[in-house]
Amino acid sequence: MAKAHKITGVAPKRSYHENARIILPQKVEEVYTWEPFIWDETRHRELHNMRISIRRLRYTMDVFRAAYIFPKTLSETISVNYSERFAEFFAVILDLQEILGDIHDSDVVLEALSDYADQAERGTLAQGIAALIDRTKEIRKVDYKTFLEKWKQLSTAGFKQELLSFLAS
Amino acid sequence: MTTVSEVEKISPDRPLEVCARQVIVSYFREMMSHEEGAKDGTDITFVHDMRVASRRLSAAMENFAACFPEKPFKKYYKKVKTITRTMGAVRDLDVLIARFEKEMDTLTEAEQADIRELIEHLQQKREDARKLMLILFAKLEVTNFEIEFLEFFTGEVANPNSGSNKNV
Repeated sequence: MAKAHKITGVAPKRSYHENARIILPQKVEEVYTWEPFIWDETRHRELHNMRISIRRLRYTMDVFRAAYIFPKTLSETISVNYSERFAEFFAVILDLQEILGDIHDSDVVLEALSDYADQAERGTLAQGIAALIDRTKEIRKVDYKTFLEKWKQLSTAGFKQELLSFLAS
Repeated sequence: MTTVSEVEKISPDRPLEVCARQVIVSYFREMMSHEEGAKDGTDITFVHDMRVASRRLSAAMENFAACFPEKPFKKYYKKVKTITRTMGAVRDLDVLIARFEKEMDTLTEAEQADIRELIEHLQQKREDARKLMLILFAKLEVTNFEIEFLEFFTGEVANPNSGSNKNV
């Protein structure tokens, strides 16, 4: 698992909201460092690392949720409903985390099955193990395709730029 | 118990260094609230919840590192990462066992026998992982981890059972 990128520019004496604008975009960029690798379904490690980066972004969004909730008096005077927009972006991040989680679960299952088969040293692969390996490979294939479709749709819709613009607000 | 709601009460205009303490203490209490259930082991969700809470805590600590003196901060951060890793070893096996148990109904009898053997193998590994988890909990207790962590992040003498974090 890749380490979290070191966050720079944090100003402890400045406000929670100002620091949210410094920290969250860096978390978004960390996610996108894995983008070049996702087009190859065999890049298990990089897909896993993207999942971890997305999870870190999700947790960081959770931590800074309060920074995007404005007092009622102020929110009535601005046209954007920040809480709703935040929730929309958050839902997308959660969705990506879940589908990448499903892919990773399949990778873990496949690894467990292969390790067990290697240890058993039976010469031929046990029927049950072989059946689950085949089934899990199929599930992974479907999940990976779903993930890529989602990612392409988000890219076409300019999700990253929209998210970064919102977080900078 | 904490947490997200407490964190949501944070005012966006307050200095980060003040909010950071509030978030970290809040998440820490959430994590530790699952310890007894995880030790007991009857309900596997406690291990899961403690692992998730520890991840949230370490993610928050990564963001707020600049608010604290580096050396002691790193010491606590590493301990939290160790908790995540140790809980993860148990949880990953819980998930695998549950998944294979679920698959059983869809297999033929001969195939089921193979998977039953695999589940027994994983259950043994899980017992080993649980032993390591219990050793870790014992070490944390002997070294006063909870008290020291709270003292550091609240800046006051802590009572881990009080649920009070008035200074943060």
